[in-house]
Amino acid sequence: MLDFFTIFSKGGLVLWCFQGVRGPAATAPVNALIRSVLLQERGGNNSFTHEALTLKYKLDNQFELVFVVGFQKILTLTYVDKLIDDVHKEFRDKYRNEFQQKGALGLLNGTFDFKDDFMRLLRDAEESSKVRAPTVMKTFEQSLKSQKTVKCMIETRGEKQKEKVKNKKNKGSKKEGTEVATAPSKAPAGDKQLSAAGDKEELTKDEILQKNREEFFRRHMKAGEKSRSPKPDTQKEKGKKPRVWDLGNSNAKVLDYSNSATNGSAEACPVEEFDPDMALGDKNREPGRLYDLEYESEDEAEEEKVVQNASKPSAKKGGLGGMFGMLKGLVGSKSLTREDMDPVLEKMKDHLIAKNVAAEIAVQLCESVAKKLEGKVMGTFTTVTSTVKQALQEALVQILQPQRRVDVLRDVMDAQRHRRPYVVTFCGVNGVGKSTNLAKISFWLIENGFSVLIAACDTFRAGAVEQLRTHTRRLNALHPPESHGGRTMVQLYEKGYGKDAAGIAMEAISYARNQGFDVVLVDTAGRMQDNAPLMTALAKLIAVNTPDLVLFVGEALVGNEAVDQLVKFNKALADHSMAQTPRLIDGIVLTKFDTIDDKVGAAISMTYITSKPIVFVGTGQTYCDLRSLNAKAVVAALMKA
Amino acid sequence: ISLTLLLLLCPAVLWRVVQGRRSSRKAVLLLGLCDAGKTLLFARLLSGRYRDTQTSITDSSATYRLSRDKSTNVTLIDLPGHESLRLQFLERFKAAARAIVFVVDSVAFQREVKDVAEFLYQVLVDGTVLRNAPPLLIACNKQDVTMAKSAKLIQQQLEKELNTLRVTRSAAPTTLDTSGGPAQLGKKGKDFDFSQLPMKVEFVECSARGSKGEEGDADLEGLEKWLAKVA
Repeated sequence: MLDFFTIFSKGGLVLWCFQGVRGPAATAPVNALIRSVLLQERGGNNSFTHEALTLKYKLDNQFELVFVVGFQKILTLTYVDKLIDDVHKEFRDKYRNEFQQKGALGLLNGTFDFKDDFMRLLRDAEESSKVRAPTVMKTFEQSLKSQKTVKCMIETRGEKQKEKVKNKKNKGSKKEGTEVATAPSKAPAGDKQLSAAGDKEELTKDEILQKNREEFFRRHMKAGEKSRSPKPDTQKEKGKKPRVWDLGNSNAKVLDYSNSATNGSAEACPVEEFDPDMALGDKNREPGRLYDLEYESEDEAEEEKVVQNASKPSAKKGGLGGMFGMLKGLVGSKSLTREDMDPVLEKMKDHLIAKNVAAEIAVQLCESVAKKLEGKVMGTFTTVTSTVKQALQEALVQILQPQRRVDVLRDVMDAQRHRRPYVVTFCGVNGVGKSTNLAKISFWLIENGFSVLIAACDTFRAGAVEQLRTHTRRLNALHPPESHGGRTMVQLYEKGYGKDAAGIAMEAISYARNQGFDVVLVDTAGRMQDNAPLMTALAKLIAVNTPDLVLFVGEALVGNEAVDQLVKFNKALADHSMAQTPRLIDGIVLTKFDTIDDKVGAAISMTYITSKPIVFVGTGQTYCDLRSLNAKAVVAALMKA
Repeated sequence: ISLTLLLLLCPAVLWRVVQGRRSSRKAVLLLGLCDAGKTLLFARLLSGRYRDTQTSITDSSATYRLSRDKSTNVTLIDLPGHESLRLQFLERFKAAARAIVFVVDSVAFQREVKDVAEFLYQVLVDGTVLRNAPPLLIACNKQDVTMAKSAKLIQQQLEKELNTLRVTRSAAPTTLDTSGGPAQLGKKGKDFDFSQLPMKVEFVECSARGSKGEEGDADLEGLEKWLAKVA
């Protein structure tokens, strides 16, 4: 009934393959499994569906093997898990020599003639699942009820009442004492009501109850004392110190937004004294370059220190005997078990959640890392903590690496060659910074010599069009047409308020094509992911206009909400699209990155959920505050204690 | 107690130093996009037989003895090509690289030219690679298929693409690894050419599967000759 069963090494060589039912080759579904599950750290549960097949897999981390079985999705085969475990054990035992001694050459040159063993195991597994006779009902004589006499039944009811009174007294006394949960008292009471026992057993249970109560009181007396100790007051800081952001430029002049000249004028915008310093902020920067997030890479030196320190203090602890015992634990190869890793993983999970990674994603990540490390042989001088940390770090860097090319300029050049504008759409919930980052991105594109048309498809929010008009004016002042060969570099296409956004977008794109603009940036209104009519409108805009890049703008402050937002946005886009392959979110813009110190978990949550790359990072409100993601810096900030 | 501590820690330190010295550049790396044929090439070079392969999740390494001169050997390392893994593994092994083989899928090249160029660019501007300048061989694999592009065409297309990439990549953000600004590839004023690079670059056609299918031998002459040269 199986479609196929493959055994291959993690390095990519297929060691043995069984092709059951005459079907398509096993390579494509297994590749899909590898790419979507193992490489994206979704290895928590061990089954995966691909078209019509269900794939179940098992990793052997000691010898770096993967066992995959595939069968039709409609069948529910119960023996598959057991079969995989059995095959794993047999294969490993049979070819242990090849793996241990010869390494990769052993895998290449060895012949793995496993067919007979496999057929035997398969037959056993199939038989064991078939032979399970239906359970015979017990006869009345066999049940416990027939053994009770009427007398003891009456007595138990009376006893039960007595017990209830006792428990009530229990609860009352406890309430006077400390304020504690009554769960332990309920547990023995529950036990009593379930059992219908004879006289003898009642007495012993009574004793047990008494003992439990005493212990319980004892424990909580101690805890009560501890909690009552007064908490020390923390001294308030004398005077306020100005906050310094690590990842941004600290230009005090830029942060002063109180410009008295522009308040209160309603009509056409006043021609303000345009100060290029204030807009650009950073004087010494290369025009057109997108800098990276600055992060001190002292962490690398720190990590090495940590590893060495971990080995040294553990060696110094205790006397000679204790020292040798500790060293024995460090040196020598032992394989990691689930019990060893669990406390470390719990700590890492809490650490990640404290750094603003969404809770369910932290759980899934830790599960996946556990699966990857189970059974792995640790080298000498490595502790469980360091191995787990290392694996988690690699997993995080892997998640943040983009799965496809992230080169907007290259794609714009391509579109330029085909004489059509490159359309980018920004979507997101309210207040994340779509319009601000749109202005920053258009500034960056202008610096690189592309002309931009901004389409004001936010026809709902008051002042949205004026905001974009102000940005357009400023950008044109910074890059006047004279310095670009007479071309206006940026222009605004707007049709006022209250109109249909999708229609405006379509008109804007055809206008851009006629006038020869290189890029069209479409700004949409912010909308909550639960708002069905607005999500439909957004999906329509994207489905009708088929932009080249759909960017989801999310702020870095968001926590568990990020998962919900992205999932619902993607779902709405998929549901309302008529095409075979719907246009989903292609990239993420992470904004307000300067406001989070090192709680950078939102980046992980967003990339994990969509597996799409973070294209830009916004780190401030001036035009130069546009960066790209540096995966190592973010992971270093995340793993920092 | 401190004496015993010193005695115990000495061998550990020595062992680490020795290991560091031993792994001087002896490795030949097999790089390339996913599905380029690296693992099959690896299997063919080492054992001569055809093996089925899946997407690699981790690296495989083995010692390769040259077919003519059995005394010299190099360590062949096959790195995974998947996007989320390739840079991590490159980081790990680039310092030990004596030579680099960049495997290109000649059949899907037209479609994937931008991705191939981007990965090649990332390899070429890497600080360690520029410093050591290991000889680079671009192996145009899958020549047994009739639609495969020739090595000359691939070279021209790559040069054109890398020329454009120089401009876009220096305007786009770079990682903090390249100290200062992004490394300049080739000469500034002129169009990009592989001869402008500090390392020797060669193009070779090969076929890991072989023209006779799975039973026959692979067509790896050019590759083996080049390996003999660099070993």
